[in-house]
Amino acid sequence: MVAHDISKAVRRLDAVSKSEGSVKYIADYGFEDCLWGRLVRSSIPRGIIKDIKLPEMPDGYRFITYKDIPDGGHNYLHMIATDWKCFAENDVRYVGETIGIIVGPDRTIVEDLREKIVIEYEEQEPAVSIDDGLACKGGAFINDDNIHCHLKLEVGNVDEAFRKADRIVEETIETGFQEHVYLETNGACCMPDGDGYKIYASAQCPFYIRKSIAPLLNIDPSKISVQQTTTGGAFGGKEHFPDVVCGPLLLAAYVMKKGVKMIFDREEDIENSVKRHPSKTVFRTGLDKDGNIVAMDSKVYYNVGGYLSSSFVVLQRGCFHVTGCYEFPNMRTEGFGVATNTYPSCAFRGFGAPQTLFAVETHMCHIAEMQGLDPLEYKKRYFIKQGGTTSTNGKIVEKVMIPEMLDQVLKASDYERKAKEYKWGSGKGIGISFYNHGGAFTGNGEQAIIKGRAKLHKFKDGTVEILCSQTEMGQGFHTILPKIAAHILEIPIEKVIFKDPDTSRVPDSGPTAASRSTMIVGELVERAATLMKPRYDKEEEFEVETQYEHPDGYPWDQSTFQGYAYLGYGWGVCAVEVEVDPCTGEVTTKGVWSSHDCGHLIDEMIVHGQVNGGVLQGIGWASTEVLKNVGGHFKQTSMSDYIVPTSMDCPKQGVSFVENPYEWGPFGAKGMGELVFNGSGAAYIDALSRAIGKRITAIPVPTEDVMGYMLNGKDLKEAL
Amino acid sequence: MEEMMCYIPKTLEEALEIKSRHDVIVLAGGSDLMVSNKRTLGLAPKFDKPVMIVRNLPELRGIYINEEGECCIGAGCTSAQIAESTLCPWHLRQAASRMGAVALRNSATIAGNIANASPKGDTPGPLYMLDARVKLSSVSGSREILVSDFIVKFRTIDLRPDEMITEVIVPLSEDDFDYVFWHKVGTRKANAISKITLSQAIKFNADGTVKDYRVAATATGAKTNRSRDVESIIIGKRLSPELIEDVIKGFDDVISPRAMPEFRREATRRMIRRFLNVADTHPEGKVIDTYDGYYVVGQPEPRVL
Repeated sequence: MVAHDISKAVRRLDAVSKSEGSVKYIADYGFEDCLWGRLVRSSIPRGIIKDIKLPEMPDGYRFITYKDIPDGGHNYLHMIATDWKCFAENDVRYVGETIGIIVGPDRTIVEDLREKIVIEYEEQEPAVSIDDGLACKGGAFINDDNIHCHLKLEVGNVDEAFRKADRIVEETIETGFQEHVYLETNGACCMPDGDGYKIYASAQCPFYIRKSIAPLLNIDPSKISVQQTTTGGAFGGKEHFPDVVCGPLLLAAYVMKKGVKMIFDREEDIENSVKRHPSKTVFRTGLDKDGNIVAMDSKVYYNVGGYLSSSFVVLQRGCFHVTGCYEFPNMRTEGFGVATNTYPSCAFRGFGAPQTLFAVETHMCHIAEMQGLDPLEYKKRYFIKQGGTTSTNGKIVEKVMIPEMLDQVLKASDYERKAKEYKWGSGKGIGISFYNHGGAFTGNGEQAIIKGRAKLHKFKDGTVEILCSQTEMGQGFHTILPKIAAHILEIPIEKVIFKDPDTSRVPDSGPTAASRSTMIVGELVERAATLMKPRYDKEEEFEVETQYEHPDGYPWDQSTFQGYAYLGYGWGVCAVEVEVDPCTGEVTTKGVWSSHDCGHLIDEMIVHGQVNGGVLQGIGWASTEVLKNVGGHFKQTSMSDYIVPTSMDCPKQGVSFVENPYEWGPFGAKGMGELVFNGSGAAYIDALSRAIGKRITAIPVPTEDVMGYMLNGKDLKEAL
Repeated sequence: MEEMMCYIPKTLEEALEIKSRHDVIVLAGGSDLMVSNKRTLGLAPKFDKPVMIVRNLPELRGIYINEEGECCIGAGCTSAQIAESTLCPWHLRQAASRMGAVALRNSATIAGNIANASPKGDTPGPLYMLDARVKLSSVSGSREILVSDFIVKFRTIDLRPDEMITEVIVPLSEDDFDYVFWHKVGTRKANAISKITLSQAIKFNADGTVKDYRVAATATGAKTNRSRDVESIIIGKRLSPELIEDVIKGFDDVISPRAMPEFRREATRRMIRRFLNVADTHPEGKVIDTYDGYYVVGQPEPRVL
């Protein structure tokens, strides 16, 4: 690496303001003559609203519902699909569904009034789990089978391979809900602004909000400008969800002709916001007489909740990743988005990929273990390589560096010695997982759907402003992008301005999601800076704009899901070592070692931070983060019962990378924000199941469940 | 905003005077009450009675050893104070040091932890085991009762309207035992609520028979569990595998976990079996934990090794 390599860490541009507390979050803003809002929500999972009894409303206070939507307006939120109602009308589909918003000048009075509203329902039997949904418990409410969405993929001929197979093993792997637990809860404000509206929101995707809520008033999205406020974490939970917050605020601002602000408290946020999709993956895997895989068939079920919204795209990504880092001669998968009476599931770091990656990694371990083999030795047989066929009949375009990454992890973790030394059931275990994440939108989505644009503006004083819609939410992007621009222009990073986006000022460069920001928008800015550079000294003030261009020769058919789903994948290998308390089942994570291929690192410290956080978040998902939904109600609703791991729960991580520049990324960078979440859960569960000598097929596994497996679990060597 | 009556006495005498005349909620650290009475963001908490804040009463903040050698802890002492005080018994310091997060330990008081009578409270386990008493004071005098009697049942305490908890007196410490055990299975490694916590201590006679044995379990029923009858099974006798199983069986009948019963029962059985088995080998040292590899960062050392 050269001395001026862009990977060398710089101090994050937001480090000081966030550390000293001078930065303002939405809750810190005071808006003049602004009302407070509180949502009134369904307290039952399924039923018909019979009556809403309101207390006497003092002057200046009002309860606003779908009935206040003006003529021509639409009662929906446009989040890929348009089925999610902004306000429930006659029926409710889940606990927490918005029924109305109560607004007024005094926060305490607003809350007093909210507490006095009585809603009478005719309750119906809810479907809560995937199995409930499939069984159409209480009657189907989506189509006649509760299937919101469905897809099927096949490579080779699975049925024929099964006919020739020596045996077919079957297994079901399940994953649970997960709450995002961003540090800052959801909040937003909507102010009337001339003949339109101005939204201030803690959000990932300001342009999404505009598009999603404008139909409520039947106005052009450009009549609404969205200013992102400093966002204290998101993880996908502020990709579409701010629409649910901002829709009612927009209608309230329209009705009251005043600004309206709303901030969720923590319990409110956990109980009434989107979650990671619970999943169930049913494998049927054909083996030859030597135990080699000849075909893998899977049925993937995601718990979508009451509305489809973005879930079909999540399910697609899940199905595309179900073969993990492997290539099998025959592969088939069928995905089902199941309607249930739970809060609609939505984006969460990984966007559907972690569930199926966990499933296939765990299933592969179990096939190996029932044959008495070390899972690593077995998995090695099937690693996909450059040119290998993916689950969508596309090819892997880039070099796959799993062997090099594996070497790094083996050395750092001392895996081979430990895997031999720690006998299954000895209380000590080491596990290993392999995973990837397709960067950016699937297929040609970047070109066909997003058409991202970014601008650079040079001012007379030599400063350069980046104009795009990418948001900082803690991940470091507002350091990454200035760094790219400064590096190309060869000016100090302090001369690059990058403000939190306001949709009235910046072009739409697409959502800050899908691990696309560095990979796609970084390239737009790299290209713009390259175009700007020869003119930088000659011209006083000017702008350069770039637009995304998809490389030729990598076809994708979105109607059949065939072709090149992703041009660049991030790749990961993770080993986890655990020790289990023989008295209590408590698990101590003794070591975590990972290697990732994110192309070329734009800032090694920021990437390091993403690895540390993503890996720990993945372990939390697999271990302590129990989020049960009983009868339609989430049982864990506070930070003391929804258990995210602390730094005490994880030792210092061993972190390594391989250099594998991506042809179309800025400085060779690929996406990595989601990748780093995708595999640690599987490695943790592999380690844990070896330590206790028992097969684990569902996550999360809190301490009490470890004890349950120790007492009643199936032996690793049992036949599947 | 609604108005709320709040008393802030300057002395204990003044506080007892207020308590004798008004029906007030006594608030010290506020780590339970401010949470259980909170409303949404930006709103003041809502109490159904006036509140008396005793947080800064100097009479309630001291820790000392009395003439009988008992450790006396002011009702307003925080978990952080107790965790750091070398005057406090080891089991109690362990429990205090693993309660919640740092901010909570700096405000939560021992009286509050007893008075909320939660079966998951961290300090009652050690207090039950060490025969601790609470001192209850009023304008007409004071009385002392065992913590295990004071906590009547789930969320219910034996406190007269005019009384306040002013002191916690712990007569025993690890000095009275040969081996000690305290293990909390929390929801995670830090900032955790107890899934189950077991406190144990044993003392042998010179002839190898058991002089004293105690075991108390937290989060295994509606209140902290301890049974002198069960403990007595091995007192005066030499340990044997059969007797140990009798203790385990006896204690299993004492506890009544509702949630996660299989886990709580099995973990309790295993922790008792482990402690008594290891103690019976009379190893060097004083502290026995759930397994030899166990190591918890920041555990205070026992008073005497």
